[in-house]
Order: sequence, then structure tokens, then C-alpha cells
Amino acid sequence: MDLPAGTRNYTYAQDMAIFRTKTHWTLLIGLLVVLCTAPLWWGNWLSVANLIGITIIAATGLNILTGYCGQLSIGHAGFIAVGAYTSAILTERFGLPFPVGLISAGVVAGLVGMFFGMPSLRVKGFYLAIATIAAQFIIVWVIKQWTDVTGGHMGMSVSAPALGGLVLKSDSSQFYLIGGIAVLSIFFAKNLARTRVGRAFVAIRDNDLAAEVMGISLFRYKLIAFFIGCFFAGIAGSLFAHWARFISDEFFPLTDSILYIGMIIIGGLGTTTGPIFGAIFIGLIKHSLTHYLVPTLESSAIALPAGFASGLAPMVFGLIIILFLILEPRGLAHRWQLFKAAYRLWPFSY
Amino acid sequence: MAELLQFTITGLTVGMVYALIALGFVLVWKSSGVANLALGQLVLLFSWFTYGMLVQAGLPIWVGFIAVIIFAVLLGWIIERFILRPLIAQPILSLITITLGLAYFIEGLVVFVWPASVAALPRLFPVEPFHIGPAVVSQQYLWAAIISLALFGLLSLFFRYHKMGIAMRATADDQRAVQACGIPVTRIFSRSWMFACVLAAVGGVLMSSIGGITFGLVGTGLKAFSVVILGGLDSFLGAMIAGPIIGLAENLGEGYLTPLTWPGVRDVIPFIIIIIVMFVKPYGLFGEERIERI
Repeated sequence: MDLPAGTRNYTYAQDMAIFRTKTHWTLLIGLLVVLCTAPLWWGNWLSVANLIGITIIAATGLNILTGYCGQLSIGHAGFIAVGAYTSAILTERFGLPFPVGLISAGVVAGLVGMFFGMPSLRVKGFYLAIATIAAQFIIVWVIKQWTDVTGGHMGMSVSAPALGGLVLKSDSSQFYLIGGIAVLSIFFAKNLARTRVGRAFVAIRDNDLAAEVMGISLFRYKLIAFFIGCFFAGIAGSLFAHWARFISDEFFPLTDSILYIGMIIIGGLGTTTGPIFGAIFIGLIKHSLTHYLVPTLESSAIALPAGFASGLAPMVFGLIIILFLILEPRGLAHRWQLFKAAYRLWPFSY
Repeated sequence: MAELLQFTITGLTVGMVYALIALGFVLVWKSSGVANLALGQLVLLFSWFTYGMLVQAGLPIWVGFIAVIIFAVLLGWIIERFILRPLIAQPILSLITITLGLAYFIEGLVVFVWPASVAALPRLFPVEPFHIGPAVVSQQYLWAAIISLALFGLLSLFFRYHKMGIAMRATADDQRAVQACGIPVTRIFSRSWMFACVLAAVGGVLMSSIGGITFGLVGTGLKAFSVVILGGLDSFLGAMIAGPIIGLAENLGEGYLTPLTWPGVRDVIPFIIIIIVMFVKPYGLFGEERIERI
């Protein structure tokens, strides 16, 4: 089903290739050309694209943890916050270069995630959900109160990322940084799913007892899943801090954690394309709600209720999550598969 | 000494309300295996709805309460019928996530309808504070505890003697056997959601009569999770005992730990308790440890 009819694999290399057919390559090159020239003609959408890129990285991490390994984490925004603050503190307070901050943000967030993921060795499902909610609240509380280091409620301003002597100040220069890392992380996630580790994750997700009986060390692989998932969150947090130039404890609420879960559900759990679809879908809806729909309605003659602007987005997102779970639990990635299958067989789609 | 007594009494009484809210969670979990993570948002919604009935619509208190209860029953039915019924027999991940979606939706709805962030309910209980030994406790706390205890009593009688209550306990025990006996399981699910919503509504009104209606009520619902984790997910008794413990820990912590740590330690103590319980005794004090087979 994955390959068009008549495409046969004669070598293992062909079998493993992500981009297999000429159409794949054409589309890939087209996409790369569009992405590389994006800063020239995307204009204001560039900042939206940057935010979506950061979200894709975080959602990819959560997808490894929840989609592949089946460990629900409702504290993803908290882990992103850990990354953001680690990177900000290292670069601002200690004057370390940005790449060091970026990597240590990932590592620290990964370690914190491993700590809060430890209950997953004994419990699962709802218990783990609550443990990660607890992580979210404890992390944000520490950030809010540890004012000497984090700036607390006043927040913390962060400098633009610098690679060597090159300071990436504008949205267009950061687009390459964020885009590059996003592409790398998607590539990593895609390949991880095909390695021993990735297959162990899937085995744990489908039946952890059976996986343990087969010789998969739950202790090891669950913690690896938490580390990788939260490592991605940390990287996303660091990029976010240096992109937004300002962070405070209010940027990482519980609702964001819920939204990340929503994204991977909307996109499709346990697929590589899922987080991309989900992040783009939610990102575009968020942007169009706040920048187009509400201003348009406000400028029109209809009097809006006072809570319209702030209440609309959560209502819409909540509704989207509920509707997707009821109507299309396999997400947009599944729809994409169906579309591809229909496209290949067209016009003889029986 | 007076201080300690004060913290103890307020902690225990507030804990009773947490236990009441947690009971709604346990009810749904036991009968249908759904973890209701929208509890905090439901508490918030019902508090605001009470405000809408009593203050905005200006209804007398008793009429307003009846309206709130009717609304709670109706909402419970809607949630079960249209959101959770389509997901019967889905993996727990979907069930948890859909209640998260519901939580998100309700949060938006509350902001949408009641954009003010803070409000106060009209005075429901007499003002004069009580003197218990050297401690001074305002009457609201005592009334909250009394109402919670009365509801516990009523609920345990209901589960002990009423036909529906027995059917609900039976469903919690074994869904298939109950279905084979001809008891409509979906109706049990629906009833358990109605009960949970009513309990959340009562808990919300009690909490907001103490501290006013703020966004912190979502936190109250979240604290109910630490109650169920500590007490054990499938134990009514556990919830009733763990509630006051959490309330006590929270109030004593606020009183004695704030100088040592940071302000706001009160709101994290329940979460720290969750983490500790997870490490030490993950199935809680009275929870049933499930032995799984392949």
C-alpha cells in the first residue's frame, strides 16, 4: 500500500529508503526549494512558520513518547519550560554560547523528564497522566518562585541566538535555524521508529507485559522514551526562548500541554507525519483565529461578548480534539494515506 | 497552639470538600473506567453557573440551587451521551485525552460567558465565626464539612440499599456479568456522570462560598486527583480518608513551610504528594492492586 503499483524493491537499501520514487524526490526537492526561499516571499507568515517549526519539534518529541511508546505525558509544556529556562540562564547569566545552551537545554529537560517518568515503571494510563500533570505544576511553580535565577513573574529577556560570530536576529535568519533543526528532528524520529529502540517502544505501547516477556527491559526503554521525548521538548524550549526573546512562567500553561496532546491526536498518533500535520493545523487555526477572525468580527457592526476573543480559541481547540477523537481517531496522517491511495488508483479507485 | 488547631480545622474541613469532588471521580472511574480529567473545569463551570443563577439572574437561593443541580444532571447526561458513549471500548489514552479536550472546551466556555476573572457568591452561611478552643473558624468551613459529610452518608446509603446504587456497584465489579443480568450498562454510565457532575457542582459551590470564584477552582479539581491517587483510584473509603489528609497537609504546609520555601507552596503540596505516592505506593492507601495477565 505504501508504494505505487509496479514499484519493486530489489535491494535492502531500496526497501529502507524514505524517498523511493521519482515523485517523492520531485516533491522533496520542490519542498526544499520552497522552504529555502521562504524568507524571500512569505513576509509576515515567517514568524508563524517559525512558531509552527518550534511546535513541530516539541510535538515530534511527544509523539515518540506518547505515540510510539504509549506513555501519556500531560506535562510537555513544563518540560519545554525547563529547556527554555536552562538555555536562557546558561546564555544570559553564564555567557555560554548558544549551541551549548541548546544542547544542555535538551539534556536537562530530558533528565527532568526521566525523573518524572520514573513512576511509569510501576503505573500507567491515568496514574502517569496525573504524575505528568504534577510535573507540569511543580516545574512552573519552581520557575515562578525561584526569582533569583529565573526572574519569576517578571520574566527574563533572552538574546538572539548566535552561531559563532553570526547573530540570527531576524525571523528570516532564524527560520533556517528552526527549520533545519525541525527537519533534523523529523528525520531522527522517522529513523528511530525503524530501529531496535523504536520497535521496542511500539511493543511496549501495544502490550507492555508481552514486551517484557519478550526480553525488552521496560525500565530502560521507558526511561529512554522519556529522555528522548523531553530532549526534543528542551530543544524546542530553547529555540522558543531565543526566538521570542522573552520568557516568563505564564508562557507554559497546562492548556499548552493539552494542546500538544491534541496536536499529535489530530495529526495521528505514532506516525512521523502526524506531529507535522497536527502542529501546522493547530498553528494555522490559532493564527487565523487571533489575527483574522476576531479582528474582522470586531471591526464589523456586531457587538461581541467581552470574553469572545480570549474564550474562543480554547473552545475551538477543545471541540477539535473531541471531534477528532470521535470521528477520526487515526488523525490527519490516516486521511493523507487514504488520499495517496486514492490518488494512485485514480480514476479506477476500486 | 491556637495556630495549629486553626490550620488543622480548616485543613480537615476543606479536605472534606476535596473528598466530595474526588468521590465524583471515583464513581465514574469505577463504573465506566473513564478518568475524568475535566474535573477542575467542571467545578469552575458550576461555580460560575451558580453565580449566574444567584447574582445575574437574581433567583432566590433555593431556586438557584435547584437550577444548578438540574444543570449539573443535564450536563452529566450530555457529556456521557455525546462525548464518551462513542468512545466505549477505546484505549484509555483516547478516554483520557477526550476529557482533556472537554476540559479545554469548558475553560474556553467559562471565559466566553463570564469574562470577569473574579466574583463572589452571595452569602450562603451566617457570618459569625465559631470559637473552638483557642481557634477561630468561620462558619463556612463548618457548613462545608457538614454538607460534605451528609452527602457521604446519603451516598453510602444509596449504594447500600437503592436498586440503582447496587447496580452501579455491580457494574464497577464486573461489566459483562452485569450486562448478562439485563442491567443497561450505558444507563449506569450515564447516571455515574450525572452523580459526578452534581458532586462537582456541590463541591464548587462550597469552595467558592469559602474563597470566592476564581480560576483557582480549577486547582481545586486538580487537588481532587491527588485525593484519589492517595486514597486509591477505586475506593470510596480511600477518597473520604485521603481528602482530609490532603487538606491537612496543604494547610499545615502553608502555615509552616511557607517561611522555609516560597509562597504558594500550598498549591504544589498536593502534587508533591502525588509524586511521592507514585514512588512509594502507586495504588494508594486503599486501592486495589491490579495483577495483569497477558
